[in-house]
Amino acid sequence: MRLRRKLHGLILEPLAGASARDYFVLFHIEPEFQIDMGVLERAYHTLLSQFHPDLFAGKPQVEQRVAAQLCADINSGFRVLSSEVLRAEYLLKRAGVDLAQAEKEGVGAAFLMTQIALRERLESADSAHPSERDALSVEIRDRYNASRDAFASAAEDERFKEAACYWQEMCYLSKLRDATRVRAA
Amino acid sequence: MLFVQAAGRDTRPGSLTMVLLQISEPGEPTASHHSRQIALGIDLGTTNSLVAHFDGTETQVLKDDAGRAALPSVVYFGSDDTKIGYAAEPFSVTEPANTVASAKRLLGRAREEFADDPYLTLTQGGALAFSTAAGDKTPVEVSSTILSALKCRAEQHLSGNIAGAVITVPAYFDDAQRQATRQAAELSGIRVLRLLNEPTAAAVAYGLDADAEEASILAVYDLGGGTFDISILRMREGLFEVLATGGDSALGGDDFDRAITDFWLAELGLTQPSAIQRRVLLGLARSAKETLSAQQEVTMDCRALDIDCAELSLSREVLEGLVGSLIDRTLQACDVALLDAEVDSVDRVVLVGGATRMPRVRAAVTECFGREPLCRLDPDQVVAMGAARQADVLVGNRGEGEALLLDVIPLSLGLETYGGLVEKIIERNSTIPVARAQEFTTARDGQTGLVVHVLQGERERVEDCRSLARFELTGIPPMVAGAARIEVTFRVDADGILEVTAVEQLTGARSEVIVKPAFGLDETQITEMLKASYEFAAEDMTARQLAEARVEGEALLAGLQSAMAQDGDLLVVDEAQRLKEGMQALEGILAADDPQAIREMTEQVGRVSEDFAARRMDRSIQSALKGVSLTSLDADQTEERSDS
Repeated sequence: MRLRRKLHGLILEPLAGASARDYFVLFHIEPEFQIDMGVLERAYHTLLSQFHPDLFAGKPQVEQRVAAQLCADINSGFRVLSSEVLRAEYLLKRAGVDLAQAEKEGVGAAFLMTQIALRERLESADSAHPSERDALSVEIRDRYNASRDAFASAAEDERFKEAACYWQEMCYLSKLRDATRVRAA
Repeated sequence: MLFVQAAGRDTRPGSLTMVLLQISEPGEPTASHHSRQIALGIDLGTTNSLVAHFDGTETQVLKDDAGRAALPSVVYFGSDDTKIGYAAEPFSVTEPANTVASAKRLLGRAREEFADDPYLTLTQGGALAFSTAAGDKTPVEVSSTILSALKCRAEQHLSGNIAGAVITVPAYFDDAQRQATRQAAELSGIRVLRLLNEPTAAAVAYGLDADAEEASILAVYDLGGGTFDISILRMREGLFEVLATGGDSALGGDDFDRAITDFWLAELGLTQPSAIQRRVLLGLARSAKETLSAQQEVTMDCRALDIDCAELSLSREVLEGLVGSLIDRTLQACDVALLDAEVDSVDRVVLVGGATRMPRVRAAVTECFGREPLCRLDPDQVVAMGAARQADVLVGNRGEGEALLLDVIPLSLGLETYGGLVEKIIERNSTIPVARAQEFTTARDGQTGLVVHVLQGERERVEDCRSLARFELTGIPPMVAGAARIEVTFRVDADGILEVTAVEQLTGARSEVIVKPAFGLDETQITEMLKASYEFAAEDMTARQLAEARVEGEALLAGLQSAMAQDGDLLVVDEAQRLKEGMQALEGILAADDPQAIREMTEQVGRVSEDFAARRMDRSIQSALKGVSLTSLDADQTEERSDS
């Protein structure tokens, strides 16, 4: 799982970014899970075309520094908001949900069993028929979409404890989904 | 591989700031827009190097007296003189040990990586260096010699002061290789405006005259002498975005030459060839390979080998058999890049690098992307041309509506975690500049130290990644487990160069540690070399530093004056007063001939104005986004980006 990390006996907690800037505010987007990707992309491009370091060549160093930091925030913010899993995680953190605690509580035994079964099927699908692999990819995608939609509605109703659980399912399933993509290539 | 050196400014316990591989930049671009600044694009290649200049309407690759654009990246270090380029080439046969070719392959690398290379004559110990009649020469020094020759060529062609250069590097160059390239430029007195990835530069050369209205996907297949790069870019709405980049920094046309050489060695039964025989064969292999791009068979005169054989022959079929697996390796990298970029197809494919002249390579690329590649621009010159365009933008000649370039980091950056595994902090293909932070805390009661090991690469295990830095953070005040808060920030600038800082949050204390690759040169060595160089006599150095310090100081004053006039309402309480005092002090010190004092005062006033600058930036964010409506016009852009 990608949340808790140990570094030579140390526990690592990922931060949202190098600065405390609220990404939804930065991009002028309502802090909701359902966002319009077209609006996000255009806001991203508009901001970059104003604050990219190339535009600050020749300006005083202090301005270059501030612009570089802002540009890093813009890039990080776009990365977080444009990915469903990271956006879900960001919304939970923004709502003050203790993710480490949520992770300790886990996703429930039934989901874990399904997830393990899917992974095993995926691993053995390498030598299997392509049609079988395709069917598996579709199944994983559908399951991911179901967890995502469940997250969206839980988050909308501010049932964050539940949402945190669906978010963890999204983490597991998106990993599996990416694995099907790599294998397909 | 790296050493850590405490800068010793503030060593209060419990905190530490590490600036990784930071090399100071001599001065800043001049702010003047009255006259066109001269900027160069330099392609520092493994086999050939080029310099180009964009004059506002046309990009010109600068030629030597004989009308040749390429400068072979070969340097002869004789006991009496140094020869560069074509003049050096003949010596690679007569004095192979004193003639260094393909130094770029060794740039920023470690000695162990070349232990078994029969083509190199290296020093036994110390820094990785070539042992020549003119003394030991590091790859950085060799590259710097080549850069100096290019700079000299540009000075002959262009009148006026050269403001700086964009130097291209393979996209797959890691942090150490980028640092080494910067050092080489610094050593040759060239101010680096930006290190630009080679495929990105090629895309700029092609892309800027493309129809920018339609979004289009561009693939750049760059097979140079020593490196292979593949980049996938998207151009739309004035933004040129690198979506993914990949490749192999140790695979190129030189490997084709070596494959042919090894084939001939086996055919001739030469098990113990002399260095000279190797060089002769390598030269023959290269021309045979080039000839076979135009014909099916070639026969080479090999009497220079001085053996019982006068001719060597090679057919295109045999050649393609020899290099097939090398080409396959490039195609695998293409597949990964396409996957990373999440595009199904590309609209255009651009070929870069001399090795892409081979018909087999072209056929493979056509098949891989399902498209005939573009080769309107000379594949040997397109990188330098793109670099020249970008250099022109970076010295402040950017035209209205000119595309903005968004590049990515080629390799993931991470930290060593429990059990020798690597935890990625910044994933590959993240758009730069980028900053990402992680918070650490202690796991044991009373723990006062930890080791931070910074790594670069995609593999999971530490030994499979490149070690960039390792440092120990000591002096954490003893606390219960989980109480200390240490924030580690990875920052990658627009050159793709990494800086790591660690700050202990509770005490807020910082200290600095500078880390540099041990196979490069340290700051003192560089300064020594600059001093020793006839180009930088002591008084010139001071004059240059003074001029640069003044330019930066004046830019800050002018910037602050207009900022205060424009956004004076954003100043808080006594800020205006403090700024005015600082500006007065700076103005006073600008008249003095003390570059150090000017720099320090500029830095100080800059710090005072940082919050004000940040508030002004926030205000412009607000006005920038005013025009962006809350409904999307591009319904087709709503697909999901992958989660990393």
